[in-house]
Amino acid sequence: MSDKSKGLSKAREIYLNRSQRAKELKAAGQTIIGYPCVYVPLEMLTALDLVPYQTCGDIREPVTEADRALPSSFCPVMRNCLDCALKNKNDFLDGMVTIHSCDPQEKTARVWESYTNYPYFHFIDMPITVRPEALEYFRNQLNDFRKTLETFTGRKLSKDKLESAVKFHNRQRALVRELYELTKPSPPQISGTEIIQVLKALTSLPVVEGNDLLTEVISEVKNRTNGLEEKPARLLIWSSTLDDTDIMQVFEAKANVVMNESCGGIRAYRSKVNFTDDPLEGLADYYLKEITCARTFRQATLGETRKDYARDLQSRFGYLKDIIREWKINGAIMLLVRYCDPFAFEMPSLKDYFDSIGVPSTYIEYDYTIGAMAPIRTRIEAFLETIDQ
Amino acid sequence: MVVEKKRTINRLKSMYPLRAKVNETYLKSIEAIQAGKPAVWGMLNFYYGDPILKAMDIEVVYPENYGAIAAAMGVARQYLDRADAEGFPTHLCGYSLTTLGYASRMMKELNGEIPPEAPLGGMPKPLFLMSSAAICDARYKWFQALGRYMDVPVWPLEAPLPGIKEFSIEDYYDEMVKLGVKHLRDFVTFVEDIVGRKMDWDRLDETTGLMIEVNRVWHEVNELRKASPCPMHSRDFWSAMPAALFLAGDLEDSLRLYQDMYKEVKERVHNHVGAIFDEKYRLVFAELPPWHSLAFFDKLADRGWNFVIESVGYHPPIPLDLSRVSDPLERITKFSLQFLVGYYQDALKQNVLGGTTAYPYLKYAREWRCDGALLHPLITCRSASTHLPYVADMLIEKMKVPSLSIEGDIVDLRLFNPEDALAKAEPFEETMEHYKKVRRQEGFDW
Amino acid sequence: MYFAGVDIGSTMTKVVLIDESDNLLSTIKGPTGPEHRQLANEVMSQSLEQAALRIDDISCIVATGYGRLNVPFADRQITELSCHSRGVSSLFPKVRTAIDIGGQDAKCMKINNGKLTNFVMNDKCAAGTGRFLEVTAATLGVRLEDMGDIALKATKKIQISNLCTIFAQQEVVGLLSRGENLENIVAGLHDALASRVAALARRLGIEPDLVLTGGVAKNKGMVMAMKESLGCELLVPEEPLLTGALGAAILAKEMYLKALAKGEALPTKPRQLEKATFFSQEKR
Repeated sequence: MSDKSKGLSKAREIYLNRSQRAKELKAAGQTIIGYPCVYVPLEMLTALDLVPYQTCGDIREPVTEADRALPSSFCPVMRNCLDCALKNKNDFLDGMVTIHSCDPQEKTARVWESYTNYPYFHFIDMPITVRPEALEYFRNQLNDFRKTLETFTGRKLSKDKLESAVKFHNRQRALVRELYELTKPSPPQISGTEIIQVLKALTSLPVVEGNDLLTEVISEVKNRTNGLEEKPARLLIWSSTLDDTDIMQVFEAKANVVMNESCGGIRAYRSKVNFTDDPLEGLADYYLKEITCARTFRQATLGETRKDYARDLQSRFGYLKDIIREWKINGAIMLLVRYCDPFAFEMPSLKDYFDSIGVPSTYIEYDYTIGAMAPIRTRIEAFLETIDQ
Repeated sequence: MVVEKKRTINRLKSMYPLRAKVNETYLKSIEAIQAGKPAVWGMLNFYYGDPILKAMDIEVVYPENYGAIAAAMGVARQYLDRADAEGFPTHLCGYSLTTLGYASRMMKELNGEIPPEAPLGGMPKPLFLMSSAAICDARYKWFQALGRYMDVPVWPLEAPLPGIKEFSIEDYYDEMVKLGVKHLRDFVTFVEDIVGRKMDWDRLDETTGLMIEVNRVWHEVNELRKASPCPMHSRDFWSAMPAALFLAGDLEDSLRLYQDMYKEVKERVHNHVGAIFDEKYRLVFAELPPWHSLAFFDKLADRGWNFVIESVGYHPPIPLDLSRVSDPLERITKFSLQFLVGYYQDALKQNVLGGTTAYPYLKYAREWRCDGALLHPLITCRSASTHLPYVADMLIEKMKVPSLSIEGDIVDLRLFNPEDALAKAEPFEETMEHYKKVRRQEGFDW
Repeated sequence: MYFAGVDIGSTMTKVVLIDESDNLLSTIKGPTGPEHRQLANEVMSQSLEQAALRIDDISCIVATGYGRLNVPFADRQITELSCHSRGVSSLFPKVRTAIDIGGQDAKCMKINNGKLTNFVMNDKCAAGTGRFLEVTAATLGVRLEDMGDIALKATKKIQISNLCTIFAQQEVVGLLSRGENLENIVAGLHDALASRVAALARRLGIEPDLVLTGGVAKNKGMVMAMKESLGCELLVPEEPLLTGALGAAILAKEMYLKALAKGEALPTKPRQLEKATFFSQEKR
């Protein structure tokens, strides 16, 4: 990384060479802990001076090694992630934290632990509902995570340190939301592609460095004089994972993607962790309730004995309405990663919801490889042709 | 030369009354439902919810079983096409698509009436949906998706899934139990509110006790299969299991029938009677059998293949003494957890950390002295398939037991090709012979 | 004034030249083939030759189809979905639903006043495309173009699993060896493809008039099977392969005339008939 680069160009450099900073920190004696999913509470790593590093897949990498343990009709993102690990692309890691956010995460975690040999490996179980007993269980799961982290580092995780880490991570969430404020104008001041570069850079950096990068990017973008091109449509993309610029560029060729509601976009940053007497409670609450992945079972009223479909849709997708209004979105893409069951079951209902609030939407499936480009291009262009009338 | 076909699988006499009871229970349940008794749609939930519904005398139908029936009767396709037309991706679980299509037909076209073409009496509109977090995401997302067609409440049962290593963290087990008990207590209240009746706690206590005892005896039956020759074939296991797994029928009857089975199997062991005529190879089967092509196992039996153990997902938990636990909800929770964690200490000792459902196959191979594994990955059932490559890898690496993989599907029954599978049997016998030698060289005792 | 539509599909390349009254001056169909992908210029030359025109005579060119980005001399690229919709509407003004079954994909379009309003596509799985018949015809040793007539002679339909072309192929071999009658097998294959495509169309909701296009629409057995699966009447254009290119030419005309009428910059760029470079070679 050149020392001079700042802001967006620095983000792009990190995006293209994500592991470089982690390797430097490792050489300088820091401990690097990998995690595959945004449900892992990074605050707990930061509080113990561990550097969190999100282990991503690479859509340009053909999956070969992962075939040993995962079938081909399996989440292509996790297959790809594991494949990179088995090809020793993450061998600078001192450990991994995995989580039962969905089946593929859980199944891959077991295989990952079995076929690698990091000094530290922990699996967090996660309930599916947001009921009080489920929250308490999840809080206890985080407490168990604390125990193994303390044993691994030989240090205590104090309340002060955890609260301070929560502050830094909340700051990061606020900065990402501020970044997304910059897609509200027309034309947007920053593209969906650039945001992916920034956010994917963040997940490879210690939180403080990430916050510095975000601050630089925000000030650079605010002072931009060469604005972006205004395209005929402002799109929302709803997906499990959209974290690659090649895929994003297919969407952005003829539209402005102003909201990426996936774990490669705003999903992990939409809300903030509250301070509670027991900081683990605040973390459990945030991670189980506030991250809007389809893996969590939501309903209008806990344990309801009557159900009404309209209220049900509202409880599952209602948050999208404000986004659509505030970002003046005129088209929604339901982007499915193939074999992602939690999101796939959601598609017809989400379509019902978009219809009910009058937003045109289209369903597109991709398999997290480069080969998917041409069909996506045709679908997105045809969809834009239908709304541009 | 045509020889009169000998019966190659020596079925247990005691299996027939057990199976007859399962079938009778099914028919009685349909009659009761047709007479207006409310029913619940349930997912296989590994005991958490079933004893509660049983104690409340609520009929349960299992859409996943109905998916299998629709496939076997050849009516699944219209429901699959319908689910496709409704916008559900075709790579979703085949059983889920079948029942989503069924629900769409029943509710959108027939105003809640059971479709006339539905086999075996169909499934009526339920009082509520009981889904489960156990084993796969489809189990609770599918029932949520059914809400598109029916405004009936859903209760997704929580089911903790600990890591094998994490399980030994202090207090970990107690936290899981706490979640289960509190969760089931709220579930009881939910059911009471819906049916407008109170739980009879004595009856729940009795039901729970019988559930545990039925499964204990059933476990002991399967332990006897370690004998050589193996006295009971997988086909008898699959025929007999619903009474223990789904608690089908009266539990006292079931207990007596499993005890009869125990006696018969024990006697066979004593007399060295095998489930097949000439046991040359002992095999383990994973996971769901090809229900429509079970005759395939007769052909393999002709070759001396005995299937001695199978389908961990259908097996009873390793017995645990719960006699001193007074709260039935705590007993249910601990019993349900045991389905998974019964294997954990052993798995940790063997350092097999990958896959809670994978380790049992190593235990099976070692203790039931298997020569090979027959794996049956299913195109649209990920939960019964994703662990299989790992199982194969671990079996060969740690136990020197080879695997043969034959693809199939749960709804597209033609994907399973018995001729093709049989063609692979002979070369696989050579592989099994080879690894028998390798195991001996490496000091294994079978 | 003359206008051109160039439709580079996965299997066939089609060119239509029209004048401002929508008269057809030239229509060309040819296999796309691997070597043809970069040679849209040659197909265009043939077409110009047929109409005795020069490239400079063409006021506006729209390219469509999967290869639309490989037509450097086009003024604009528009997806085949919009072009088919436009082309079909020019032939059947009352059309509301169109189904196009091509060699490697199938698409269903909802159309209102000649414009695409919604669509679904299948290009993941050969089982719902013309490829399904192509592969199984080869297995049966029957010419693809004879398949439809054979199906019409069937006395019953053998149910074929519709999940996967490869397995259907194996199944066909099994059926033949069991002595099943060829006509009935072929009818079953048509039925399997039709039910797959019908399910796709039902995702959109079917409204009449309904038009079937694409190479498969020339197959009478398939038209019959589609009618049965959809349970409604079906219109088929005389040249079902050409609706995409025709729609592209009409859209080119409309775009050009609109700009002309409004006095805006014309949607025409200086052009040469040159070879294409692939869009995958674009910079990241």
